[in-house]
Order: sequence, then structure tokens, then C-alpha cells
Amino acid sequence: MKVFTFILSLVLIAPAFASDENPAKALLLDMAEAVHTRNFDASFVVVKGQAMEPYRWLHAKQGNVELEHLSLLNGAGLEMARVNDQVTYFEPHSEPYSVQTDSIAGPIPEVLFKDIERLSAQYDFVLGGKGRIAGRSAQLVRIESKDEYKFNYWIWLDLESSLLLKSAYVNHKGEMLEQLQLTHISVTEQPAQMLLEMQNRDFPPPLPVSEIDNESTGSAVNNWKIGWLPAGFKLLKSDRHKLDLNNELTDYYLYSDGFVEVSVFVQRPLPGKRPSGALSSGATTVYVHNGGSFDVSVVGNIPAMTAKAIAESVARPL
Amino acid sequence: MTKADVNKLDNEQLSALLDGEQQLTDEAITNDDVTTFGRYAMIGDVMRAEANNSAFNFDIADAVADALEHEPVYADFANKTTAPKSEEIVAATGTDNVVAFNWRRPFAQVAIAASVAMFAIVGVQTLPQNSESPQSEIPLLQTTPLTGVASPVSYSSEQPALENAQQGLRELQQQRIGALVLEHQRQARVAYSLEKSQTAANADEEKN
Repeated sequence: MKVFTFILSLVLIAPAFASDENPAKALLLDMAEAVHTRNFDASFVVVKGQAMEPYRWLHAKQGNVELEHLSLLNGAGLEMARVNDQVTYFEPHSEPYSVQTDSIAGPIPEVLFKDIERLSAQYDFVLGGKGRIAGRSAQLVRIESKDEYKFNYWIWLDLESSLLLKSAYVNHKGEMLEQLQLTHISVTEQPAQMLLEMQNRDFPPPLPVSEIDNESTGSAVNNWKIGWLPAGFKLLKSDRHKLDLNNELTDYYLYSDGFVEVSVFVQRPLPGKRPSGALSSGATTVYVHNGGSFDVSVVGNIPAMTAKAIAESVARPL
Repeated sequence: MTKADVNKLDNEQLSALLDGEQQLTDEAITNDDVTTFGRYAMIGDVMRAEANNSAFNFDIADAVADALEHEPVYADFANKTTAPKSEEIVAATGTDNVVAFNWRRPFAQVAIAASVAMFAIVGVQTLPQNSESPQSEIPLLQTTPLTGVASPVSYSSEQPALENAQQGLRELQQQRIGALVLEHQRQARVAYSLEKSQTAANADEEKN
């Protein structure tokens, strides 16, 4: 009898395991769809250590047109508006500009609104527990890095609407470094008036990809040898340009593993004694490495150890 | 007794007199300086807020209204539902004092200094030892919290922290870090279109 029960349980459990791999992914895909099709008006805060940033997030689908607006409510502000696959960024003290892309690069990793399947090589999708977030019942989905060089990302999804209710960058000790929490969300039949007005506005034309890409400015790929990056990171761009704020010249490299972006800057050394070290705020790490005759800085949502290893792997090409 | 003390004493008497706490005598009046008397009388009137006193007609409403008239408009939330299109905003700048900063005109004046200062360095620490990792020690330049690319960072609250920093980094490095973080945020925005175009280019190559 015992043997029979054992076999029976195996038979019963096996399919459960087989489909167990998918629910987490399926929930994320549902979320991506919901975020693209629902009319909603939400407010959320991003908590980075002791700092907090409040945002308002509106989305509408009107016929075939998708409209989205995300704004940072504190300080000088930052506004991002999307009409279909054109996103315009409004920042203080600089001209607004548009990018041809179908999601806003805000505090929520863009890939979550797209096909998360491509993260499978570097991340596992794990179903977590259920809980109550923002007054709604929520299901936790964990995106766990397969190695220790990246943070994990946890997402709580609304069981009813599939929309995101909370998310967090979590390190490998299970500490939440940066949390995003919805404080209010209303899903409506009709799109918000403000978004409908957005349709009639003139936004700057998107920058052509060739201009964003290194073709016009010249690649800096041979200027430096970047010896190490965690598995899965690809070079998206390299060039030499001046930084906006302080007009310093830099060799610039942009990497991504599909989930997080990492920037590597190689610059002329600053005068004086410059200790190497890491700065962090929330999940964002800045590692400044004193390479002697040059300075390397690595910026991205990665652990300080990873940033340090990347920075120290930069050398002059042989 | 010094001269100042004498004066103070006199004034106390005078003040008491005006408040009706002391008997009024001719002597007292003649002895007191006329201008001091006048000033004290005025203070008393203002404090008692006497009605129909035209001498204290501090009507600054007009002056404020006038000042507001000439104040540039940075954000006009009241009009947001009926806000003019961007061309109209531009056209209006000539006549109005509207600062046509961008679509919804955020607060340009608080601006960029904040993003430069957002990683305010307050000291250098060493991460706790982690014996499992080969790179067990990482110096951590500790920061005040980052509050986003353009949130205001009060200089006054930062200043003591900076002064306390035993190994505070140079302003130059702070500026640089601010610039790097901003640049990273901006570049990350184009990451997806870049990735898409690269994938497309690779697909083309494979075809050929």
C-alpha cells in the first residue's frame, strides 16, 4: 500500500512540477500584456535606502494607439510620455528628445513589459508566496540571477488585473535594496483625459538609431580592453563623447544582459589622491577605480563587487 | 550707571506711561524726547490694532499682485486640462512671462545642481569582511541617499555631513559622479532600440 501511495504521489507530483516551471513566467507575460492593454492611473513610490521618489503612472489604450505617461513628482521633475512606440523624455535644463522604443525606461526594468523569455539564460523564474499589497491580493514572482554577480528582482502581481503592485531589487542575502510600491491604482474603462490630449501634441521626432549608435561618432571599442563582465552581458554601444554636466571627455561603453544596463567610463585621471571605492544608492552602484594613468567608473544596478571586478578588468589594449 | 542704562530706564517709564500703567504728568511729557514718544505711541497703536487708523494702512495687496504679475510662470497646474499646444506656448512666451520649458513645464529653477549633488560623499567605509568571496574587501564611499536624477538635495543638510567626512572626496569627483550617473540613465534609455537594431542587423547577416 505504501509503495502504491508513493507511486501515486509521484505520478501526481510529476505533472505539477512540469507545469510549475511556467506559472511564474506566465504571470509575468500576463503582466506585460495587462500593462499594454489596460487603462489605468497609478501612483507609486521608489524607496532607495532612506530616500523616496514618488511617481505617477498613467496608461491608456485607445483603439490602436497606446498612450503612457510617467512623471517623477518630487524635485525638478522628470516626465516621460509615450505614444505608441515613441517615447519622449522631458528633463530639466535640457531639450526634450524622443526615442523609438515601445516602453518607457523608468524605474521598472523595461524588459518586464516585453518578452521575458530571453532572460531565461541568465535568470530563473520562481513562484513565491501570496500576500496583500496595496489592498489587493498579490502573487510574488522572483526573478533570480543564476550567478552571484547580479541582483535578484522580486515582483508582486495583482491576482485580479495582473498588474504590478510591488517590486524590489534583492541581494543574495535576501535584503531589499530598492523597493517600488504602488500606493494607489485605478483601472478604468475610459482612458484618462490627460492621455487623450497627449495624442494631439507635437513631440520631437525620434533620434535615428544610427545617431544613437556608434556609427556617427566612431567606435571606441579598440581604445580599451574590458577584460571581464558577468556572463550574458553584450556590448550595445561604444564611443568617445563629452559628458553633459561637466564637459569631460570619456570613452564610453554600454552593456546589457537584457535586464540591467551597465555603463563603463574610462576617463583622464582627476588630480590629487583618489581612492578607489563604491557608492551606492538603492540598487544603483557607482564604482570608481583609480587605474593610475586613467580612471574607470562603472555605473549600473549591479552589486558593488561586480562593478569593482569590471572596473579592475579594464586595461590598455595590447 | 552707564548712559545706555539710563536711556533704557527712561524708555521703560515712557512705555509704562503709554500703556496707562503710570500717571501722566506734564513733567513726564516734557522730559521725554518727542520722537521717542511718537514711536512708542505708534507701536502701541499697532499692537492694539486700533480701528480706522489710516496711518497704519499697510495695504500690500497691490504690491504683491504687481510682483506676481511680473513673476515668470513655471508650472500652471490649474490650466493643465486646457493647456495650449506646444506651439501656442512658444507663441505666448513673447507676450507673457511664461517660461516655455517643456510640455508640462516642470520646475526648471530647482534644476540640475541636484543631480550633480545626488551622490553626496560623506565618508569612506570598508564593507564587512566576507570570507566566502575572494574579493573580500571593497572600500565603500558612503553616500547620502540618492533621491533621483532631479530631486532637490538641500545643500544646507549636506554641508555638515561633508565637513564631517574624514576622507571627503573632491568636489570635482562629486561632479564627475553626478555626470556619470546622469549619463548612465540617459544611455540606458536607448539600450532597447540599440539591442533591437543589433538583433535585426545580426539576422540580416545570417540571411546573407
